[in-house]
Amino acid sequence: MTPQELVEAFSAKAQAVNAVVQEVPTMAAALQYVVDVCANKAPAEILADEPGTEKGPLGPNKQPTRVQKIVAAPQLAEEDFALLAKSCEEKGFLCLREGVRKYLSGIDVGVGLAELGVAASGTCLCNTDNEDVRLSGMISEISILLLKKSTIYPDLPSIADKLRDRMGHGEPTYTTFITGPSRTADIERVAAVGVHGPLELHIILLED
Amino acid sequence: MHDALVSKSGYHKEIDQALDDDFLRRTLDTFAVSYRANREAVFKDVDEKGLIKKIADAKDYACQHMEELYSKFKAEAEKRGVHVHRAKDAAEANRNIADIAKQNNVKRIVKSKSMTAEEIHLNTALEKEGLIVDETDLGEWIIQLRHEGPSHMVMPAIHLSRYQVADDFTKVTGEKQDTDIQRLVKVARVQLRRKFIAADMGISGCNFAIAENGAVTTVTNEGNARMVTTLPRVHVVLAGLDKLITKLEEVLDAVQVLPRNATAQRLTSYFTLMCGAGQCQAEGNDNGRKIMHVVFLDNGRTEIAKDPLFKQIFRCVRCGACANVCPVFRLVGGHKMGYVYIGSIGLILTYFFHGHDRARILCQNCIGCESCANVCSGGIELPRLTREIRARLNAEEGSPIEGTLMSAVMKNRKMFHNLMKFASFSTKPFTGGTQFIRHLPMAVLGKHGYKALPALASKPFRDKWSQIAPHVQNPKFRVALFAGCAQDFIYPEQLEAAVKVLAAKGVAVDFPMEQTCCGLPLEMMGQRKTSIDVANQNMAAFRGGNYDYIVTLCASCASHLKFGYSEILDGTASMLEAQSFGAKIIDFSSFVHDVLGLKPEDFNKSAQKVTYHASCHLCRKLNVHEAPRELIADAAEYVPCEEEEVCCGFGGTYSAKFPEISAQILNKKLDHVKETGASRLVVDCPGCVMQLRGGAEKRGMQVKVDHIAQLLAENLK
Ligand code: SF4
Ligand code: SF4
Repeated sequence: MTPQELVEAFSAKAQAVNAVVQEVPTMAAALQYVVDVCANKAPAEILADEPGTEKGPLGPNKQPTRVQKIVAAPQLAEEDFALLAKSCEEKGFLCLREGVRKYLSGIDVGVGLAELGVAASGTCLCNTDNEDVRLSGMISEISILLLKKSTIYPDLPSIADKLRDRMGHGEPTYTTFITGPSRTADIERVAAVGVHGPLELHIILLED
Repeated sequence: MHDALVSKSGYHKEIDQALDDDFLRRTLDTFAVSYRANREAVFKDVDEKGLIKKIADAKDYACQHMEELYSKFKAEAEKRGVHVHRAKDAAEANRNIADIAKQNNVKRIVKSKSMTAEEIHLNTALEKEGLIVDETDLGEWIIQLRHEGPSHMVMPAIHLSRYQVADDFTKVTGEKQDTDIQRLVKVARVQLRRKFIAADMGISGCNFAIAENGAVTTVTNEGNARMVTTLPRVHVVLAGLDKLITKLEEVLDAVQVLPRNATAQRLTSYFTLMCGAGQCQAEGNDNGRKIMHVVFLDNGRTEIAKDPLFKQIFRCVRCGACANVCPVFRLVGGHKMGYVYIGSIGLILTYFFHGHDRARILCQNCIGCESCANVCSGGIELPRLTREIRARLNAEEGSPIEGTLMSAVMKNRKMFHNLMKFASFSTKPFTGGTQFIRHLPMAVLGKHGYKALPALASKPFRDKWSQIAPHVQNPKFRVALFAGCAQDFIYPEQLEAAVKVLAAKGVAVDFPMEQTCCGLPLEMMGQRKTSIDVANQNMAAFRGGNYDYIVTLCASCASHLKFGYSEILDGTASMLEAQSFGAKIIDFSSFVHDVLGLKPEDFNKSAQKVTYHASCHLCRKLNVHEAPRELIADAAEYVPCEEEEVCCGFGGTYSAKFPEISAQILNKKLDHVKETGASRLVVDCPGCVMQLRGGAEKRGMQVKVDHIAQLLAENLK
C-alpha cells in the first residue's frame, strides 16, 4: 500500500467505528482544533464528589457540570503545550500537563499522541506509560489523538517489532491500542458509546 | 448462581421456561442472524483459517511448555516489579487474593471481567472476607446486581431486557430510571466512576500472559479494564495457566481473530498490554509505582495439559463464538448451556471444573451440528470432545439404560437387522399404508408429537439388493454403497434412486451385505466400546472389495466413516485401515458432481421449484457446498432458502433426548422453507429427510421432502 492508501484505509476503518478523523496541515492547526472542540462541547459532567470545584447546572445525566472546562495534554512537547495553554487561557479553560488524578470525576478533553496507527482496523497505538497520559484518555468526555500520517502501518503483524522494542527493556510499560470511543452492547445488544471512557474519539492526522 | 444442573428433570423444566421466554428467543434469534453476516464481513480482510491454525499451534506449544513459560514469565514480570503467584486450586487462588487485599489494607475492590474469577467464585470468597467487590463491566455489573451468573462469556447479560435493567438500576440508585438504553448506559457510567475512584484494588482477568516479557493483556470495549488497572493503587491479575503464551507475535495473531469472532469487530475499542508495575500516583503508594500481582490458577490445568485429546481445550481464547453459532444456545440461552463457562466449550469445561453431575446433564445438550468447531478461534474439535466426555462419563460411572441396550443390540449385526425387520412388521398396523406412523397414541409420543414419525419400509434395501443390483459393462468406476440404517430400513427408495443414477452413468455398484450401522448413534450415547466394534465390522465388510470409492447418501454416516473412525481408532492397530477406509468415503452429491461430472445436459430440467437444506455434516464436516446446489439447478428450478446451512434439529438421538429443542429448531427451518414458495425440498441426508418430512407432514405443508438422489433420478435424461 502507498502512504496515501494507508491514510485512506486508516481513516475509513476508524470512521467505521465512530471515530472522527481530521486531517490538518500543522501542529498549530491541530491545537486550534483541540480548543475549538472544547469550546463547542457542553461542559463535562462531574460524575463524583470533587470538593472545592465550582459546579454548574445539571447535565444530561443529572450530574452537575463544570463551570471551568478542563483540557489535559500531558504528552505535548513543551512549546506545543505552551501554545495550547495560552489559547485555553484565552477561552477560560484549565489546561493540565500533570495532576490529572485530581479530576477523576471527569474532564472535557484529553489530548494524546499516538505512536503509530494500524490501517487494518483504524487503530492508534498509544504509549500510556505515564499515568497522566493514561488518565486523560480515560476520563475525558472527548479524547483527541494526534497521529502522524507517516506512522500508519498496514496491520498488527507489521508493528510487532516496534511493540517488542517498547516492551523489551525491563522497564515497566503500559501500551494501549485504541479503536474508536468506549462502547458497549451489553443491554439488548444495542450499541451505545461512552460507557466508561470517552464519548467521542477524534483522530487528527498530521503531516510530518 | 443458578443451578438447575443437579437433576435431569430440573434441567428439562428450565429448558421449557427458556423456550417460553419470548424476549430471550427474539434477542438470541436476531443476534444469531446478524452475527453470522457481520462475522463473515469482518473476516473477509484476513486469512481466517490461516490465523486459526496459527493460534492453535501457538497455544498447543504453550500447553506443552507450560512450566517453562511460567518460569520465564515469572522472571520477566519480577524484573519489572510484579509479584507472581501460583495457586493449585480455587481455594488457594481465593486465599492468595484475599491475602494481597489484607496486606495492602484494601477495603474496596473493582473488577473487570474475568471468566477465571467466575470459575473460582472469587467474588463470593472475597465478600466473605468482608471486602466490597464491584464488577465494572456493564453486563457483569447488571448480573452482579441480580445475583446471577453470566449467560454468555462475552455478553454476560444478553438474557436481560432493558426493562429488567431499568428496574435493577432504579433499585441501586434509589431513583426511577428510564428504560432508554443510552440513558441506562450512562447511569452505569456515573455509578461506576464513583466506584473506580473509591477502590483501593483492581482485579482484572487476562487474555494472554506473554512469557517473553512478562506482559499481561486485556481486550475490552468499555474501557473498564483500563480503569481497573490504572485508578486503584493495587492491581491483581488472575490468569489460568492456559493464558501463558510464548511471544508477542502470537498475541497479535490472536487479537485479529478474537474480536472478530466475539462480536464481529476488527478490534475492540481497547487492547491493552501491561508489562510490569508501572506508574501509579494514587495516595498510599510511596514510590509512585503500582503494587501489581499476577496469580496463576492451576485448578487441574497441568493435569489436563497431559491429556492427549483434551489438551486442545487450552486453545480456547474465550471468544464466545461457539455459543454465538450454536442452534441450541440460540434457543435456550447460556444458563442452560453451561454452568460458568458457556456454549460448546462450556459443556466441556464444566466436566473439568465444576463436577461430573452437572457435566453429565449438560454434555447431552449438543446436537452435533459442527457449527462451533467450524468457527472456533483455536480450531478445537468441540463436538468431538463433548462426545468423548459422554464416553468417559459412561466408562467412569456406568451408562444409562438406553445406551446399554443400544450397545447390546448393535454389537451383533444379525440381531440388530432382525430386530429392525421385526419392528417393520410390528408397526404396520399404525401406518395406515403411508410412510408415517399415524396411529401411535399421543400418550406414547408425548413431547415427540411435533413430527410424524416414519414407518419402517416393508422390505429393507438389503433384501431388495439381489433383484435390483445393476450390471454395468466396462464401468468407469467401481463403487460400493454404504447404506446406513435409515436408508436401509426406512427409505430404501433413496438408495434405489442413487443406484439408478450411478448405473445409468456407467458406474458399477456393489452392496456389501455385512455392513451395519456406522456407529454414530452409539458415539452420541457415549457407547465407545461398541462403536469401535461396529467400526471394525464395517471396515471388514468393505475390505478386499477394491472399490474406487465408497459412496454414501447419508451426510452423517459419511462424516463419521471418513473422520470419526480415525478418531475413535486412534492409537489402535486399526488406525491405518481407518485412514485408508476414510479416504475412499464420498457423499453422493460430490461423487456425481465432482467425480462423475454430471452437467445440465444430463438432465431434463423440470420447472419445479426446489429448495435445499444443507445437512450439518455435509457442509461443515465434509465442506461440501456447491455440488448439491448446482445439481439441483441442473435438474430443476433452484430457489435458495434463508439460513440454508443452519441445522434442522435432528441430530440423531438428540431429537429423542431433547424433543422440545429439536422441535423449535425444526419449526424455524420449516418457516424458512415455506417462505421460498418451493414445492419440493431436497437434502443430502436421510436423517434430515426424517425430521423435515415429519415436520412438514405434521404442519400439513404442501412441500415434498426428498433425498437429492430422488430428484436427480427422476429428471435424468
Ligand atoms: S455441535 Fe452444534 S449443537 Fe453442539 S455445541 Fe456445537 S454448535 Fe452447539
Ligand atoms: S472454544 Fe473456541 S469458539 Fe468457544 S470460546 Fe473458546 S475459542 Fe471461542
